[in-house]
Formats: sequence, structure tokens, C-alpha cells
Amino acid sequence: MDAEATDVELLERFPDVRLDHTNKHFYRGLLQRELRLNRCGRCGWWHHRPKPICPRCWSSDVVATPVAGTGTVHLLIHLHQGPPADGVDYARPHPVATVELDEQPGLRFTSAVEGAPDDLAIGQRVRLGWIERDGRPFPVWHKVEEPA
Amino acid sequence: MTIAKRNPHKDQVAFASAATTGFTRNRGEVTAASLALEACVKAIDAAGIDKSEINGLLGANNGYIQSALGIPEVNYYVGAGIPFGFSIANAVGAVATGQCDVALAYHSIYRNASNSRSAANDPFRARAYAGWAGLGDGFGPDSVVGAVGYTAWASRYLHEYGETRDLFGYIAVNDRSNAALNPAAVMRHPITMEDYLEARMVRWPLCMLDMDVPIDGADAFIITTTERARDMALPPVLIHACTNGQIDLNEEDQIPGLHRHGQHVVVESLRAKSDIWIDDIDLFFPYDGFSFITISWIENVGWCGPGEARGFIEDHWVKDQQRLLIDGRIPVNPHGGALSEGGTQGSGHTREAIHQLQGLAGERQVPGASKALLPMGGFFFNSQGCVLRTG
Repeated sequence: MDAEATDVELLERFPDVRLDHTNKHFYRGLLQRELRLNRCGRCGWWHHRPKPICPRCWSSDVVATPVAGTGTVHLLIHLHQGPPADGVDYARPHPVATVELDEQPGLRFTSAVEGAPDDLAIGQRVRLGWIERDGRPFPVWHKVEEPA
Repeated sequence: MTIAKRNPHKDQVAFASAATTGFTRNRGEVTAASLALEACVKAIDAAGIDKSEINGLLGANNGYIQSALGIPEVNYYVGAGIPFGFSIANAVGAVATGQCDVALAYHSIYRNASNSRSAANDPFRARAYAGWAGLGDGFGPDSVVGAVGYTAWASRYLHEYGETRDLFGYIAVNDRSNAALNPAAVMRHPITMEDYLEARMVRWPLCMLDMDVPIDGADAFIITTTERARDMALPPVLIHACTNGQIDLNEEDQIPGLHRHGQHVVVESLRAKSDIWIDDIDLFFPYDGFSFITISWIENVGWCGPGEARGFIEDHWVKDQQRLLIDGRIPVNPHGGALSEGGTQGSGHTREAIHQLQGLAGERQVPGASKALLPMGGFFFNSQGCVLRTG
């Protein structure tokens, strides 16, 4: 794994993003192919999108912490059209899923579902994977077959 | 008489605490929001109150601030007033009139790269100062931020209640049938459920006909005291009650669910404030920027229970008119709503309600209409509602 990006490197890799001192830890994780969401060092509560304090106990000991990357599809849309994006082809409807992560009820993360599987539905178990988009790692969901 | 001279709420609003982060030339890796949060926590603690007592916010990025502080529900939230006197005046008005009871006002000062050499050396401050216009979160289409959030929760609705898309089609057809009588409407040719089901899919489960129509146009209003309005040319339309609503987990993919979002705050507040509710009204104007929002309002104001919109709509559907007429008499967005009059973000709904209550609605006039309920906006940052009446 490469060394963690410096602040300047991070800004160079994400010229299109509203980076700030609070959300930079999330984006730095992406470059390491790690989905790091904020977790409170005092009470253990996870939250997303990134805030500088824990919304539950107000501790500022909030750490961008890797999640296991497993969860269940909670919201699911299929884009029949949309903005241009590297590697996205709307010739087939492009699925975007909000996934409830196993770490904590209500903690969710949204991204594409890779490969646009035919029988995708809310309730589907998925796991995190990585593709390259715009020359940097991008987190996506993969459908997983659950053992019967 | 152009200078405001009334002070009906004199001495009735006060500050309970004040707090500061202190000020330095360089506080390091902070953001405008993190500074605001630090001061807010101190002020809340100094007042000796629990965060749940706060139901008003005045300051920049108040959705984010509410989410970060975990303030469960607010009814009043407005952006920053600069200088701060704007926020004082806004807070006095809000508290005095019952838009909120306990307001948290904040103002954060963040050095930028134009006025501070050390800030110019902080590349994150430099990016913020250069402007975030055109920048995003890096997720492109793979996001449910913004309007897409309604499509995402529409998918959840279909899943939770075993519903099908044609439910949304009733809203599109109703609006179009109503727009036929509105010369101001942009889309006046009738549509059928078959047209709806064949319309171009945009973001499944919502198609072209589920989405409001981009238009050019404007609405405008004169608002004054009821007393003064009585001396003007038209019958006054009284603002009987109004509120806004926002919850702590307000980001599009993080709201707790269909059972808890801004609409629920609006309904709880408005029902408490208003002597008028659904059994009393003559006109119903549920917001319809997306058809699914209307379904949600129909359920949340209490016409039926969660997931029961289909039964309600089918019971009150007038087949030969292809529109909803609740109890055979209450039209739903009689001007055609955002889906057919045009996407007015609520101004069209408000104008039509006023015209109906003034007897000026022409062919669409509901005879003797005296009370209207207007639940506006969606789930995340913009839920609103008001009750208008003649008088």
C-alpha cells in the first residue's frame, strides 16, 4: 500500500471535490482503498457524512475508521440517464444503491453497484469493492450470494 | 407610512446565554463549521439546557450544524445574517411569533486566503476561498444527494409496502386533469395512466411525468397585517398557522426512514398550532415537485395511514374527471401543481390557494372555499406547511 497522501497530494488527486479539514480523512482513505467513516473515540458511535464532533456525545475525538464493507441494500435507483462520468454507460440502466452497513443500524453509504446485476433489489446483501475512476480508486458495491 | 413602527412583542424575547471559541490568528485544521460547533456547545451548556430544547437555528449551513449537534427537531432555520443584527431581528420575530421557542444563533469567522498569509498557506482554506462552485463530492452520478434522494426513498416506499409505480401515476394524471382549466399552466393536454406507464424513464422508479416541469415565470405576493389588508382592494387571506421542519439525521441517505423526516416535524407542529385540519378544509395543496412527495404528504397529514395512499386515492378518485376529489369536494392541487402548471417550488400552490380563497379562481373556483392546507417541500431540508383561511 502506498504511503498516506499529504494534504497537498490529496488536493491534487481530488481537484473536483469540496475538500476541507473535516472531510479530508474520508478522501484520504479512498486513495488507500479503504472506506473510512467517522467513529467516535469516546462513545463508539459511527456517523456519515463527516462531522468534526460526535453528534451523539459531542466529543471531538472523531476518527475516520475503516468499515468492514458489508451491508444490505436499503435504497436502490436505476439511472436511465445522468451526468457523464468516467466508465459509466447508461445504455443499460445504471444502479445506485444506498447500503446500510453492518457496523450500526442507520449508518449508510451510497455508491454504484458494479456490473448492474439483473435481479438486484432492496434487501440484497453486498460487499465493498474498488474500481478506478478518474485515475483514482472509487468504492463500489458488489452483489454477494448468501449461503442458503 | 413606509417605516415599520409596530412592536407588538416588546420585551417578550431575550438572550439566555452567549459563548465564544476565543479568537486567534491561526486555529489550525478547523473549518467554519467546526468553529461554530465549538461555540454552540459552549452556549448550550452555559444556558443549562438540553439540546433537545432547541427548535430554532440561525446561521450558515444549519442543516449540517443540526446534524452534527444531533438536535432532534427544529421548526425554524435560516441562514446567516451579516452583520449579526440580522440574526437578532430574525430570532426575535421567530420566537415572538411562535416559529420557535428556543433559538440557537451562531456566527463563525474563518480566515481566508485573500486576507491572511497563513490562511493562504493552508491549501484547504485556499480551495474554499477559490470557490466551491462546480465542485462536488467526487461521486458523480453515484449519489442520492439532492433531488435524487426522492427517487431513492420512492424505491424504499415501493419495497416496504409492496407497491407499484402506477400509484405515483395517479398524482401525475390528477395534476394534468386540473391544469386543463388553468390558463396559466404550461402542460394542459390530458394524460392517461397508460401515458404515464409509457413515459420515458429517467431514474427508476420515477419517470418524466413524476418530475416537475421547468418553466419561466414568477409569482408575487403582498403580505401585511390582517388589519391593513382589510383596507385593501381584495378580501384578506389570513395566515392561520405556518411552520418549517428539519430533523437531525437530515442528509438524503441518512434519514431514519419514511416514518421520520422533516414532514413529520411540520405535521406535529402545524396540528398543534392550527384550529383547522383536514376535516375542516376545502382545498388541499400537497407539494408535488416529485409525485412521490405528494403520496407522502397525503399519508403524513393523516388522510390515511402509512402505506395506505393507494386505497385512499382509489376511494376518492373521480373516474369521469380523472382526478382526486376528496370526499367528493376537496380538489388536490386544482391549478395543476408543479407537475402540470409548472415547477414553482410552492409559489404557484400558494397563489392558487389565495385566489381560491378570494373567489378569483375562475373556472376552477371551489364554491365558498374558506380554508386551505398547504403542506410544502420534501423530506430533508425544506419541509414546510401553512394553513390559510378567509376571515
